[in-house]
Amino acid sequence: MTDIMQVEGLCIAFGGLKAVDGVSFTAERNKITTVIGPNGAGKTTLFNLISGALKPSGGRVIIKGKDVTGKGPAALQEAGLARSFQITNLFFEMTVRENLRLAAQRLEPVRQALLPLRRHGRAADKVTALIERFGFAEKAHEIVAALSHGEQRRLEIAMCLASEPQVLMLDEPTQGMSHGDTEDTAQLIRSLTDEVTILLIEHDIGLVMSLSDHVVVMHQGRKLAEGIPAEVRADSAVQAAYFGHG
Amino acid sequence: MHDRLDISMRANHVFFWILVIVALVFAAFASFSGDVFYLRLATEALILGGLALSIDILLGFTGLLSLGQALYFGIGAYVSALVLREEPSFWLAMGAAGVSVLLAGIAGGLIANRVRGVYFALITFGMAQVVAKVVYNSRELGASDGLIGIPVIEIPLGLITLSAGDPLGFFLLTLVIIALLYSVSAYLLGTPFGRIIIALKANEKRVPYLGYSTWAARMAAYVLAAVIAGLAGALYPMLRGFVSPELLFFATSGDALIMVIVGGAGTLAGAIWGAVILTMLKSVIGSWTEHHLIVIGLIFMSAILFMPKGIVGMLKPFVERNLLRNSARQPKPEPERTAL
Repeated sequence: MTDIMQVEGLCIAFGGLKAVDGVSFTAERNKITTVIGPNGAGKTTLFNLISGALKPSGGRVIIKGKDVTGKGPAALQEAGLARSFQITNLFFEMTVRENLRLAAQRLEPVRQALLPLRRHGRAADKVTALIERFGFAEKAHEIVAALSHGEQRRLEIAMCLASEPQVLMLDEPTQGMSHGDTEDTAQLIRSLTDEVTILLIEHDIGLVMSLSDHVVVMHQGRKLAEGIPAEVRADSAVQAAYFGHG
Repeated sequence: MHDRLDISMRANHVFFWILVIVALVFAAFASFSGDVFYLRLATEALILGGLALSIDILLGFTGLLSLGQALYFGIGAYVSALVLREEPSFWLAMGAAGVSVLLAGIAGGLIANRVRGVYFALITFGMAQVVAKVVYNSRELGASDGLIGIPVIEIPLGLITLSAGDPLGFFLLTLVIIALLYSVSAYLLGTPFGRIIIALKANEKRVPYLGYSTWAARMAAYVLAAVIAGLAGALYPMLRGFVSPELLFFATSGDALIMVIVGGAGTLAGAIWGAVILTMLKSVIGSWTEHHLIVIGLIFMSAILFMPKGIVGMLKPFVERNLLRNSARQPKPEPERTAL
């Protein structure tokens, strides 16, 4: 089975507004599935439903064959899902290393919880590896608040990887990044597919088309179309709704 | 190189060690001059330091403002007093107080942790006031007079036996117990568990996405703080020979909160320094004027305006810089030595 995550008919309404209305799709293992759509299409709400930040009013989320619908974020983390945030969400008063250490400490056995932080072992090694891989060697002991926006966005991704998830949800990872940083981040995301399945929200259409294996298009809370990038780009409904002027 | 949080904790230890040295020098002088009053006062300051320490765990690390921490201090004191009146055993009193505040902390935590922010502060305040009023109106607990006539106990400490009536001996014992409470707090805050507690203060909304229940972490911090406050409170009747409902009232919680802020929230050692400084000031100013509360109030206001990080918080960066420089220097090998 190559499907690692199935989303079936997810729904939620805020007041009378159906923010997400019966969205279904499947994420294939070690592939990049991207959710696109115009502003207000319900992409982030969909992410919140999948990652447990919001409880859906209908539908199911299945990870590795297990129904995890409506479970809280902590339980979903346990099920192997990690997510980043559209608005940078880190421990700003702590250093890069401390942030990563926090995210990685679930790798350690529970009995370590009341023992001193280990300088070696799985969590510490993971942190060291991530610092190396994400180019934070120089800034490992910097306070996160002092990092540039691009660096903070990159740390968001590193934080998600620290717990060795199987599904990684990235909410606009390149939001507000310079062109060069965006390119680097795209390459980084591509390189992650060896380890994880990626679910992405992205606005940069060029990036979406070059990066994604599978694209889900949302419009007004509903799924408008899905398929490989070329198919989606050719779809006339998508062109009308998303690429607008056509 | 060490994490900043580790450096920060080691800087706290420096300030705690200075306090211990000052306390020992003071004890030497006091016993030399045969003083009783100031030794007793200093013992009380340390006991209140335990209460302040518990507030700092919540305020300075977990990010929870408790306005009713005296609840657990008072429960510890009353349970200890009740036990001592029946059976003058130090260890039994401490054990009973510890178990009682553990249970009370769990009960209080289940109530208070349903809400956050201002509501948390208000509910902790409310719980303490309710229990204080119940005690105040319970004849079995001595009502407004409190419990008096607590015997002076002998405290067996393995090789030696110490009398709670011996000002120097009991001061030193209190110092050891407060040092233990400080060490346990500092140790726990340095573990992976402690890091989650600190993460709660830094960004509680992110913690669930690390795979941890924020409720459980907050609850653990709250119960830990309750136990620390209660164990400190258990020493109170041994020192003063009585307990009164005032120990539970907001005046006690509020004073301890001022101690934390004046000493420096989030520094552990600052809480105890704050307790020592404020108790001393109260006594000194109290001997000049009976309106010492006005002066204390003014000191508190100026401390907040001019020293928002508190005394230890203000001095700490200098110590941290030194510790950082040392830890950065250490791991490097010294090439000259091999050349020699």
